[in-house]
Amino acid sequence: MLTNYFPILVFIAIGIAVGGGLIIFSRLIAPNKPNAEKLSPYECGFPAFEDARLPFDVRYYLVAILFILFDLETAFFVPWAVVLHKIGLYGFLSMMVFLLILVVGFIYEWKKGALEWE
Amino acid sequence: MYIEQLVFIVSSAALIGCALMMVIAKNTVHSALFLVMCFVASAVLWILLEAEFLALILIFVYVGAVMTLFLFVIMLLNLDIISREKGMFVRFLPIGIVLILGMLAMMVYVISPEHFGHLVPVHESADYSNIKELGMVLYTQYVYPLEAAAALLLVAIIAAVGLTFRGKAHRKAQNINEQLLVKKEDRLTILKMPSEGKEE
Amino acid sequence: MPVQVPDLTPAVPQIYVLIMTCVTLLVSLFASKKHSAWTYILSQLTLLGAIVLTLLYFHHKSQVTFHGNMIVDHVSMLLTIFICAITFFVLLYSRDYIKQHKMPNTEYHVLVLFSTLGMMILVSSYSFVSIYVGLELFTLPLYALIALRRDSAVYSEAAMKYFVMGAIASGMLLYGLSMIYGATGSVQIAEVVKVISALPSSQHLIILFGLVFVIAGVAFKLGAVPFHMWVPDVYDGSPNTVTLMIATGPKIAAFGLVIRLLAETMPDVQLAWSHALMLIAVLSIGLGNIVAIVQSNIKRMLAYSSIAQMGYMLLGVIAGTANGYAAAMFYVLIYSLMSLAAFGLVAMLSRDGIDIQHIEDLRGLNERNPWLAFMMLIVMFSMAGIPPLAGFMAKIGVLEAVIAVGHVWLAAVALLFAIVGAYYYIRVVKVMYFDDPLQSTRIDLPTGDMRVALTVNGLSVLALGIFPGILMSLCQAAF
Repeated sequence: MLTNYFPILVFIAIGIAVGGGLIIFSRLIAPNKPNAEKLSPYECGFPAFEDARLPFDVRYYLVAILFILFDLETAFFVPWAVVLHKIGLYGFLSMMVFLLILVVGFIYEWKKGALEWE
Repeated sequence: MYIEQLVFIVSSAALIGCALMMVIAKNTVHSALFLVMCFVASAVLWILLEAEFLALILIFVYVGAVMTLFLFVIMLLNLDIISREKGMFVRFLPIGIVLILGMLAMMVYVISPEHFGHLVPVHESADYSNIKELGMVLYTQYVYPLEAAAALLLVAIIAAVGLTFRGKAHRKAQNINEQLLVKKEDRLTILKMPSEGKEE
Repeated sequence: MPVQVPDLTPAVPQIYVLIMTCVTLLVSLFASKKHSAWTYILSQLTLLGAIVLTLLYFHHKSQVTFHGNMIVDHVSMLLTIFICAITFFVLLYSRDYIKQHKMPNTEYHVLVLFSTLGMMILVSSYSFVSIYVGLELFTLPLYALIALRRDSAVYSEAAMKYFVMGAIASGMLLYGLSMIYGATGSVQIAEVVKVISALPSSQHLIILFGLVFVIAGVAFKLGAVPFHMWVPDVYDGSPNTVTLMIATGPKIAAFGLVIRLLAETMPDVQLAWSHALMLIAVLSIGLGNIVAIVQSNIKRMLAYSSIAQMGYMLLGVIAGTANGYAAAMFYVLIYSLMSLAAFGLVAMLSRDGIDIQHIEDLRGLNERNPWLAFMMLIVMFSMAGIPPLAGFMAKIGVLEAVIAVGHVWLAAVALLFAIVGAYYYIRVVKVMYFDDPLQSTRIDLPTGDMRVALTVNGLSVLALGIFPGILMSLCQAAF
């Protein structure tokens, strides 16, 4: 089975070589004369007003976590779809029950309004 | 065989290094990114173990989604750089090292070919699909834990909404249905007034 | 490969609970505010239905279904009945509290029901996979329940502690189970037992390595020393009704975990785990009883008392005999009844500005409401192990079991600390009966059905002490 992944390994090796190579070469070749003014951060010519990182609203988190849950659900679907013709009606129904339980969750969050955004 | 060993050594070294950096890094975002590297390195290890489905899930659920969540949480709490008290770290270092060495010695002694040797799995041929094998048992033999896992995901939905949702937002948005259903009578009121004579 | 469809009949109670929980969620979601009582009624119907369905199946012999992932035997059925009955009382006791403290009604009931389902799955699991999923299903709703009122920093802190500790425990358990899987090549308990008994004892090392982590994980869930740190903080920091939930059903479920993972999976290395449990039991009994003496907060006192009580329960498991397991089961069932009454009383009295936090808050309860004081007296005496109450019979049972296998010193230590422990239980009684009340107004439980329920609960502790035969023989028949 692992032989199937050999091209991917080669691909990763080339990717690392090209990406790393560019960084190394630019480091070696490009002139590098930093001074305090050059390295200081600025916004449109002014000194930076505030930190780039701002606290997020908790609602982003809710969206992210709901995304993960349904992401996991799709992960459960992949092997099922691959062997659907072999596991018969029983396998089909077992996944339908799985789906039904999650649909209840979907109805819940929809009705609650958790999917809405201001 | 030689390449396989090389890949194993490189990725496990990367895994250990990144795990270490994740703990040491001062900047929390850097820690999170090192964690991503840990996931990628362990995905490579899982591919080597021929658990390709799990490796892919690791990439697309953990690297793709869970890490996003981690970064959200870091942003949410506005943890810029944790002021790690140097004293704490140094103070617990000796006991930590002793514990780690103890665990390591125990594992090296216990997890040896001598104890696991009889169960070494054989290498599968190129047309072997781990996903198919998993699918064949997951939806039939393991249907009981599967449905329990569905209930678990449902609980996670309810818990996430229950813990973070603040109630429906009062939006100032157009309600197109209502706008279209409006009739002339709703908007216009015709008042009968006696006409006022023109002033001469 | 033709797939064999498993026999679903043993799983009917669990399927019923799952369906009804979803129905409760949807009904409560779509019902208007006026009809919010339906959430409560449907939840209670779910639990009652599960009890009835389990009872209907009770005459069957033990049966393994779902391709070896689930077992329905008398252990699982008896534990299921108690878990559902106790959760029924928990919901009854907490009805008024959640209204007063503005906890979200739908989420509260649905999470409690899911936690119950998780416990039911856990006690009837017969493979590592379903044990783990069951464990997560029963603990995850509890973390959320604690923090359900987001405005309180205390609750969030307790939830955080419980969650982190629970996650560590799950991780340890999983690591141990994966070691055992690696050594035996199977996750099904029936298979693992066969493989382990066929292994030469030189190969047991890897099993023992896994066993250490399994024991650590299980001890975390039981809240036994040295994995007990979370217990007082979580009990104290949670809303009273959630403490009530955490302190009752999960103990029964954790007992189920001990039976499935240690007694049934690893009878061949019984010596190894019983030695580890011996240490845990002695430390729990000692530390729990001694630290409980200096507590002034009633929830923290009951938390340390639960640590000690879990130590006593483990004595029966240590014996490793059928009698020992039966005694441990009897112990944990009785303990959860007592704990239900004690925390239930604390939860129900905490309202209208009266907050029962310290033992001192119970001052002169006898003058303010003699019947409630009497119920608390029964429970406290029973926890202390004073005859003729159920706690006494339970203690006798486990002590008998350890003496029968020759650990007389263990029984002596346990007995010594039982006497030490009696001090702080009796102190509560002294405060209720002999101290002057701070206020002389009469206090009472919110509604009539709660009064009836607490009376039934308290008197059952008395009745099971005088007539322990029926429950005892059920426990013995299970092993």
